[in-house]
Amino acid sequence: MTGNDVGPPGPRCRGTNGGLMSGPNHASPPPAGSHAAWAGVVVPLAAEVDRLIPLAATLGVADPATSAWHGQLFGKLVPQLARPPVLVVAVGGGTNTGKSLVVNSIAGAAVSRSTPEAARTRHPLASLPVGMAATDGIGGLFPGFVPRRWESDADPITASPLPGEAEDILVWKEDTTGRQPAGVVLLDTPDIDGTLRDNWHRAELVRNAADVIVAVLTQQKYNDAAVRDFFRPAATAGKTLIVVFNMVDWPRQRERIAGWLATFRAETGSDPIAVYAAPYDPAAADRGAIGFHPLPECTPGGDRTAPAYLTGPEVIAALAASDIDRIKLKALSGALAVVLDPVAGVEGWLEAYSASARAWQASRQRLADAAHVEVTLPPAPREIVWNEIWTWLEPRRSRFDLAVSGVYRLAGRGVAWAARGVGLRRDAAERREDFAAEELAALKRALGGFVERLDDACRADERLAGVLAPRLVGADRTAWFADLQARHAALPVISDDYRAFVRAELDRFARDNPATVRWILAALNAGAVARPAITVGLGLAGAAVVPAAAATAGSLSTLVHTAGDVVVGTAATLAGEGALGLTAAGLKPLVERLFAGWSMERSRVLADSIHDVVLGDVLTELDRLASAGSRPEPERIRRLLAAARELA
Amino acid sequence: MARPADDPIAAPGTEVDFAAFDDLVTSIRAWVGSFPEWPPARGVQAAWDGVEPRLDRARRELSRLLVVGVVGGTGTGKSTLVNALAGGEVSPAGDVARPTTVAPVVVAAPDVDVAWLPLEAIGARVVRSNAPAVANVVLVDCPDPDTQSSSPPGAEPRPSDGNRNRDLLEAILPACDVLLLVATAQKYRSWIVAREVAAFAPGRPLLFVQTHAQRDHDIRPDWQRELEAEGFTVPRIFRVDGLDAARRGAAGLAPEPGFAALVRAIDEELAGRAARRVRRTGSLDLAGWFLGESSRLLDPCRDGVAALMAGAAGERARLERRLADAVAVRLRAGRSGWQRLLTGELLDRWQGGAFAIFLHAVAALANLWPRGRGVGGGVIGRLLAGEAPVPVTAGRASWQHLHDLGITEAEVEQSRSVLSGLAARARLQPPLVGRACLDEAAVESTVTALLDRSGLWLASGIDRLVAERRGRLDGRAVRWGFEILFSGLAVLILVREGIDFFYRRLWLGEQGNGSGFLQEAIVWLLLWGLALRWLLLVRLRGGLDHDIERLVAGLGDAHLVDPLLADFTAAGERAAGYLAEQRRLAERCATLAAALDEPAVGLGRLRSRAP
Repeated sequence: MTGNDVGPPGPRCRGTNGGLMSGPNHASPPPAGSHAAWAGVVVPLAAEVDRLIPLAATLGVADPATSAWHGQLFGKLVPQLARPPVLVVAVGGGTNTGKSLVVNSIAGAAVSRSTPEAARTRHPLASLPVGMAATDGIGGLFPGFVPRRWESDADPITASPLPGEAEDILVWKEDTTGRQPAGVVLLDTPDIDGTLRDNWHRAELVRNAADVIVAVLTQQKYNDAAVRDFFRPAATAGKTLIVVFNMVDWPRQRERIAGWLATFRAETGSDPIAVYAAPYDPAAADRGAIGFHPLPECTPGGDRTAPAYLTGPEVIAALAASDIDRIKLKALSGALAVVLDPVAGVEGWLEAYSASARAWQASRQRLADAAHVEVTLPPAPREIVWNEIWTWLEPRRSRFDLAVSGVYRLAGRGVAWAARGVGLRRDAAERREDFAAEELAALKRALGGFVERLDDACRADERLAGVLAPRLVGADRTAWFADLQARHAALPVISDDYRAFVRAELDRFARDNPATVRWILAALNAGAVARPAITVGLGLAGAAVVPAAAATAGSLSTLVHTAGDVVVGTAATLAGEGALGLTAAGLKPLVERLFAGWSMERSRVLADSIHDVVLGDVLTELDRLASAGSRPEPERIRRLLAAARELA
Repeated sequence: MARPADDPIAAPGTEVDFAAFDDLVTSIRAWVGSFPEWPPARGVQAAWDGVEPRLDRARRELSRLLVVGVVGGTGTGKSTLVNALAGGEVSPAGDVARPTTVAPVVVAAPDVDVAWLPLEAIGARVVRSNAPAVANVVLVDCPDPDTQSSSPPGAEPRPSDGNRNRDLLEAILPACDVLLLVATAQKYRSWIVAREVAAFAPGRPLLFVQTHAQRDHDIRPDWQRELEAEGFTVPRIFRVDGLDAARRGAAGLAPEPGFAALVRAIDEELAGRAARRVRRTGSLDLAGWFLGESSRLLDPCRDGVAALMAGAAGERARLERRLADAVAVRLRAGRSGWQRLLTGELLDRWQGGAFAIFLHAVAALANLWPRGRGVGGGVIGRLLAGEAPVPVTAGRASWQHLHDLGITEAEVEQSRSVLSGLAARARLQPPLVGRACLDEAAVESTVTALLDRSGLWLASGIDRLVAERRGRLDGRAVRWGFEILFSGLAVLILVREGIDFFYRRLWLGEQGNGSGFLQEAIVWLLLWGLALRWLLLVRLRGGLDHDIERLVAGLGDAHLVDPLLADFTAAGERAAGYLAEQRRLAERCATLAAALDEPAVGLGRLRSRAP
């Protein structure tokens, strides 16, 4: 779909004035309100798109800044719908084809210096009609450029950005000859095929903003791919083209031009409203004012009675005499059509965005599935948990069967004493030390395993690699293990969280099972030693046993959770009433929970290390990317696109 | 008109130079293929694949005429210039339509064999010419690079969809030895032409020509700046007008100076002996360019590889420290084990004699107590108990034995995880290195190897300590000293008892003091024996702690923990060796190039990549 398909219906106009179109049979200009109506849709559309672009870039969606719709939306529609209309006429072409000379000629003054060396014009120059600087200026008309007031004709060559200023400068100057038509802004542009790629970019920004483009072509360059590639999008976006064949060996090459032009038209899909030949004339070039031979035979319906020779200012006057409003409307409709194109327009980009967001969601899920590691902690020293329970039991002790507890405690102590005596059992401090060493080893292994799983996930998924690799590859892993070791060393035996958890569990149990509370002590003494299988992983929602370990639901976070079964090994066979009490009253699960809770508290240091040191803010970043699909902007953009289609 | 290989006017040193160059190429070839598993090295290999055939060909075709490719944008007058050089209309030229030249045109002297050019593949047409400018070179009028679309065909067909000029150009240029770059005021700064030339300039000398001299300004100073900024050396740019030259040629007039200079340069710099020099310089330039490219590919990895090597050394030291600490503690703690070992030595060497018999008797009693007690089992305990260092175990169970040596699975995995990160930075990924967490098979090969080595090393260390002490027993004075001290008491007791019995009781008839003295005496003898034994063992054990320290200090040289990290160190060393060899080769190439450098008057070349 081209811009021509979308513009208001009506025959294309052919002018009478040197081949320019004029207005006897065009559709009436749009009512004054129509710009405002367009702006009411296009401006919010651009705002939504603009909000989404940085996120899209991090999602890996191709940068839209180089796409046609982006240029038309941000470079043309938004700035130009928001202000009184002006006709932007830009002169464009390859290196050393005489663009600056053409600009000087049609401006009737030396505004942009013309040099024999190629690619010298680095910055676009805008010549404004008299009075415009005092009223609207060019503020906002050329987004992406830093405007700089003209001081000499060398500015487009030598201007350089001030420190901290953007690289792209637009030099502007108000017409002093008084010959530049009101409402027409004339621009010289850098080249589009030279070795300085910045020049191309600047020329493209100007092209996007233009309504009329004066294509300066030469015998050498009219069919260069770079030249075609520059003018084709202009034609697609409904911009009006005027072709100047420069440095023509006049009149010898006059009959050649029709063939050259046919090639250019076929290649770019353009339909120039006027074609001129500027003869090769070094003397005139030195004077800075070349002449133009209209070639009405090259434009269907061209006026063959027009004068055979025009000066530069007459060329622009001829343009101004044609139907400017219609040219403007055609350019705006063309721009909108480019934006609305279902494949190459905003919608195509939005599709790519959604697809990428879905892929990120899948990647996040893959990471959540892959990145978890089972930690096999050593069995907790029983007295640690036991002491907490004992503290809870103390005030309730009078209500217990003291005999039962006494027997168990005595028996337990006797066995312990005997075991120590024969060297089979170490004392409490030694046991703590052994436990701490074993626990640290288990945590370190878990960290190593976790990191390896992350490495694997990165190798399997390029997206994850993009986010995680800088941390996994760039970081000093020794510091991770050192951090884990430091956290583990600083870990109190019993945390306040765990204390509160034990109280709450026991209170709840006592409330639910008033009759069997007295068996708690017996059960503990008879001695379940729990060896919970802890899983540390990246989860999407937290269901941790110890509340403080719970994560914010819905986001990816390092979690500690028990994996289904708590392995409870019993130190002694439970017998008689004790065993009965345990199973009947659900004491076993209670004991499991108490031990599991303690172990999970311990493994939190691992989760913290992973979260704070290994992954840093990567999880937040990943969540942000994975939730891109559920943001409101795409839906709003789709609605605005639909509204814009109705306008168009 | 291929000249014979042993060209009489060839410089005598040429073959020698080529021998040095061949050596360099052989070394490069061996180096390029030496580490194919490493991704950066694969990039180098890919670059080499593009360069190697050209180097080979340059060597083989040393004496063939040079092929000069005339390249430049469309409309710059390539064909016009070729026509002027060929002295007639050999290639269509003009301004009717762009591009003019679609099929390349090869211009050669009538007797030159051009069959080796890929004429059919590029659809080239051969034209013979007697013009002096093409007597000693082959000219190829190439298609332009700037009219073929770089964007894919759109929905609507365009005339340029079928334009394959750039593809054609890229097919022809590999066959060219020299590039004749033609530009005009409008095209000397063309990005696409610069890109194509930069791609094919390595190893190909260039002639730079500004055409359209009669119409355009002289842009040579600016063009020269541009070319130099792109890394070319530009000794000279010729400025000609092809149309004018052709007209003058046709009219039999003398060529104007610019064109004459170009023809002269072609004859002097590209024909005969100069052609060999061009080839040799081109080949060296190409090898230098390739080594420069490989620097560009490899330099980002150098820091990573160095970090991996440093990290591997650090982790090895860390594990060794743990191993040394644990070994020292265990060896010191194994007092009874040492005692038993030393006693064993004692018993083996001291036979007969009263004290020896006493020692044997004590040892026999001590053996009733279970072995290994107090040593705590483990590798060291077993060694001190005189058993084989490691029982045969498979897989994960071997970790258990390592714990005794202070190295746990967790510590090894920590080291391996740290090194995995560093290896990834050096782009050494599995399977070049193993995984951080050792699997069953890896444990088998690493942990078991470590245990074997440690066992052997410890056993030999303990043997050495024991042997040093054994020496202390070998002196006769020591042995007989102890025997006399021990036997002395026994003799004293016997003498006293003899006096008691024979003299006092039988002779004097006094009442003896019965067996009381004998019992007492035996207890004293026993105590005396034990005291002597203790003295002996103190003497044997003397300085043991210090010797253990000395033993452990030598642990680093034994490289005991190496098997645990062997994959990382091996991969790191390979990568470091590969990188070092690249530096050496680049230096060799630069030295050779400097030795053979001859200033060219009119030929430019690509010295380096543009910044």
